Amino acid sequence: MDFGFSISRSSTVNLDSVALENFTKLQALEPDALKCISCGSCTATCPAGKFSGMSLRKVIHNLQRGREKEAVEMLQGCMLCGKCSMVCPRAINTRHLIMSIHKIYGEEAR
Amino acid sequence: MRENVVIIGGGIAGLEAAGQLAGLGYNPILVEKEDHLGGHLADWHCLFPDLIPAKDVVSTLVAGAASANIFTNTEVLHINRLQDCYNVMLSNGVSVMTKAVLCATGFRLFDAHKKEEYGYGVYDQVITNSDLEKWFNGIPDPRIDNSMMSSAGFVHCVGSRDEKAGNPQCSKVCCITAVKQAIELKKKFPEMMVWCFYMDLRMFGKKYEDFYISAQRDYGVRFIRGRVSEVSENIDGRVVVKAEDTLAGRPVRITLDLLVLMSGMVCNPKTVRDSGTVQFPADSDGFLKCRNSVTDFNLSAQDGIFFAGSCTGPKTVPETIAEARSAVLSIHNWFKGKQ
Amino acid sequence: MRERFLTGYNNFVLPFLIGMVFILTYCLVCLFRILHQLPHEDRKRFLLSLVNPKILLKNIRDIFCDCLLHLKIWKRNKLLGYMHSSIAFGWFMLIVIGHIEVFLYVPHRAKFLYYPIFFRYFVAETESTLRGGFFFFLMDFFLLVVLSGIFLAMLKRLRSRMFGMRRTTNQSLLDTIGLYSLWSIFPLRLLAEGFTAEISGGSFLTKSLNHVFTAFLGNHVNMLPTWWAYSIALGVFFCVLPFTRYMHIPSEMLLIPLRNAGLKIRNARKGLAKVQVYSCPSCGLCIDACPMSVMKTHAKDTTVYLNRQIRRGNEKRIEEISDKCLLCGKCTAICPVGVQGDALRVAQRAMRNSGMDSVWKTSGKIAGTPEPPQSQGKTLYFAGCMTALTPSILKSVETLFRASGNEYEILDRDGGICCGRPMMTAGRTEEAEGMIRRNTELILDSGADTLLVSCPICYRVFTENYNLPGVRVVHHSVWLKEMLDSGALEIAPDNQRYVWHDPCELGRGCGIYEQPREVLKAAGELVEAGMHHKESLCCGGSLGSLTLNFEKRRAMTQNALENITAENPDVIVTGCPLCLNTFGRFADRPVKDISEIAAALLKSDCK
Repeated sequence: MDFGFSISRSSTVNLDSVALENFTKLQALEPDALKCISCGSCTATCPAGKFSGMSLRKVIHNLQRGREKEAVEMLQGCMLCGKCSMVCPRAINTRHLIMSIHKIYGEEAR
Repeated sequence: MRENVVIIGGGIAGLEAAGQLAGLGYNPILVEKEDHLGGHLADWHCLFPDLIPAKDVVSTLVAGAASANIFTNTEVLHINRLQDCYNVMLSNGVSVMTKAVLCATGFRLFDAHKKEEYGYGVYDQVITNSDLEKWFNGIPDPRIDNSMMSSAGFVHCVGSRDEKAGNPQCSKVCCITAVKQAIELKKKFPEMMVWCFYMDLRMFGKKYEDFYISAQRDYGVRFIRGRVSEVSENIDGRVVVKAEDTLAGRPVRITLDLLVLMSGMVCNPKTVRDSGTVQFPADSDGFLKCRNSVTDFNLSAQDGIFFAGSCTGPKTVPETIAEARSAVLSIHNWFKGKQ
Repeated sequence: MRERFLTGYNNFVLPFLIGMVFILTYCLVCLFRILHQLPHEDRKRFLLSLVNPKILLKNIRDIFCDCLLHLKIWKRNKLLGYMHSSIAFGWFMLIVIGHIEVFLYVPHRAKFLYYPIFFRYFVAETESTLRGGFFFFLMDFFLLVVLSGIFLAMLKRLRSRMFGMRRTTNQSLLDTIGLYSLWSIFPLRLLAEGFTAEISGGSFLTKSLNHVFTAFLGNHVNMLPTWWAYSIALGVFFCVLPFTRYMHIPSEMLLIPLRNAGLKIRNARKGLAKVQVYSCPSCGLCIDACPMSVMKTHAKDTTVYLNRQIRRGNEKRIEEISDKCLLCGKCTAICPVGVQGDALRVAQRAMRNSGMDSVWKTSGKIAGTPEPPQSQGKTLYFAGCMTALTPSILKSVETLFRASGNEYEILDRDGGICCGRPMMTAGRTEEAEGMIRRNTELILDSGADTLLVSCPICYRVFTENYNLPGVRVVHHSVWLKEMLDSGALEIAPDNQRYVWHDPCELGRGCGIYEQPREVLKAAGELVEAGMHHKESLCCGGSLGSLTLNFEKRRAMTQNALENITAENPDVIVTGCPLCLNTFGRFADRPVKDISEIAAALLKSDCK
């Protein structure tokens, strides 16, 4: 039956039920994971962002909100060129952060 | 006999303190290494949020300090601790014996050349906040005069909140300064598009929020939440700026005729030229270390050495003047306690 | 010379024999395993190289110079060189002359492994030993040489600074046993031969010692126990050898032919890598050389410890050490045996599965990637990712292009595909190859005949891993030199003092040292850093390290700055955007790219 509308899942992120075990693991591996101030420098300079929509800022943000799948998919275009680590004002070791995300969430995905 | 008080630095903190100390019956000796008084403010055009001309403020303070002993073009070579006083050696050969020293050495603007990627000194369209103030004050600047000026951008947090630049602290006044300069620029070029690229907007002071609203509503200044990470030049000789609009979650690029870098405040590297027995250690934020940062922000760890103004951290003009007054009161009470 | 015993045998040779048979068997088994582990084409290449007379000659020469004479160590420190070559070459000569003696006097005993070693015990001197006297002298002479080396080795344990080493490795227990047994072999031999000298004959050393002994020890009772002790010392040394750092002695003899055959490390634990790991003599030269060692906490992250941990199979530490390294290649450049610390680490990183999908693993075009600019007959400039963040380089190179009259196009004006080296050094070979493939297409499609790059990271991968037929890849410092030579560019020198910082990837990585220096000589006065050329220090900004954070790198940068300003130059000049950025942050004087220097000094008619 078609009522002309459907009920979709709420788009609200329920922070009460966000599971952050993986993020805790990530933090242990690369403590810089918590240093991000979401300034967007990494995203603006990212050469992969142009064709893959990669944004490290969003990745870090999404991981902390439990949206792991989106985050991990975004990293597929990364070239590990290190430009983001050059522009980051918080001196985050972005390449190691990305590789650590691969390690933890990649294992999780399989 | 009037007690000597040596004041290092003839900026607004030093001037205000000199005037107040003279009023209380002390003999302030003001040492300024430049040839003019007023420090950074002497080059500034006008002040937020009411756009008061900076030169009025400076001349009022200079007039107030008229009865002080003032040495310009003079550096403090070193300070040595003696039995119950300090010997302050000046570069003009004068040696002063004093019980109290007030350090009002202020700040230095971050050297924008160090942020390579913004191209200061490489591209003709890239200037700093201080360059722009000088231009407002009527000093010609070919980088501004020669361009067509249809769009300009302000980059907040240049050399502040930046660990790579060696200054992780917020420089505090640049947000509101950028708003002020954007408004002034808009007044000069009403048709110009003006963009502010910020990480976080910190509108903490009296009437700052109103000023910010006015910039948006009355002057049409556009604000983008995202730090500029790359600046390049296109074939027309305009600069192409890359940032992420973090609120939209999309990278943005924009072509500008003028890019103003809001250089942050960093501590003046040398309070005195050579090291004597009195040292001025830096705190973890790079500014001078006071006894504690809540109640004893005027006092150093050494008895008789006092602080005022932005040598202990970024401050606005009214904050600096208030600190100078409170330092004078601390010095006065300290002398009274000695008697 | 005549034999003293009909059997030509005594039980005391047993410890030596057991040790010798053990070590020979062990080495043979290892050799076969290593050959088996080599990929098929590598094995074929290696075996073919063994029958190539040119390579064979080089093998022999290298083994002689490196394993026996240790010429590389001589160049570093004379005392250290003498210590090594006296022990190695002296011992070798003792063995050779021992064999000559056996062949000359008792040829029918030549089949016994132990006979040349214990020759003096089994023979007695006869009247006509003038020829023997000659050999006696040689034997005593080389024994003295070895003993002097052993003495220096003991001294080195106490005072390593005398030998030009600030820090050396910590010994493991087995290493200590090996060390003491090695040290005791030669004094024991001296004693044994000294006791026997009046029967077997001897020369200035053994004969004189014999006179001293006979003065207060009148009988021959002491003779046999010293021969036993000598044999036991040899036996112990051979038996512990495979488990100690002394395994480098046989390993190096395999490493040299493998290297000369042109083999590369393909797996961090097998084949060539394994030979390299076992060839490490734990000398610790790489500890002082490593730019990370400026912080004491990193001293155990150097190549010598990587080799040790690989031998022990300590996976956690292997990962840590491999990931931390800046890959500056200095340990490789100075290693006296030729262990490739950087290649070993990259291979180790490549053993990990990233566990992730990547667009670079797929084939086909990726939407949004750049289009090649039409550059038929022109020079194509690949600025590289890092150059986008150092506009001064980009602008200067463009100025130079225009001044030189060269037509050019920029491949990545609006961002391109990364060259692939950062991905490769992170151990992601497959992804890196994907990127290389796409860049290759872009470059070849553009039709350019020259590819100019200004980032040494890119330059290295373009020369090492790309196949670009008909396209010449050139770094801008070399290009500048050529433009100055041909007169296409002319610069007016100033009186500044310039120091050239050798970027790791350009100097040690690609061997470009002199061209940029020539350019600087044309621009002003050239001075050198404290350590330069292949000994230069990494700026600390290298992308090679995965785990080093900003704070730790700062100490390295400051140390490198101290080194580069040793002669107090006015300007620090480099040819790498990453070095420029890293040094610029902390330097107390201007840091410039070589293109900036040239662009600023261009003669006005060039501009």
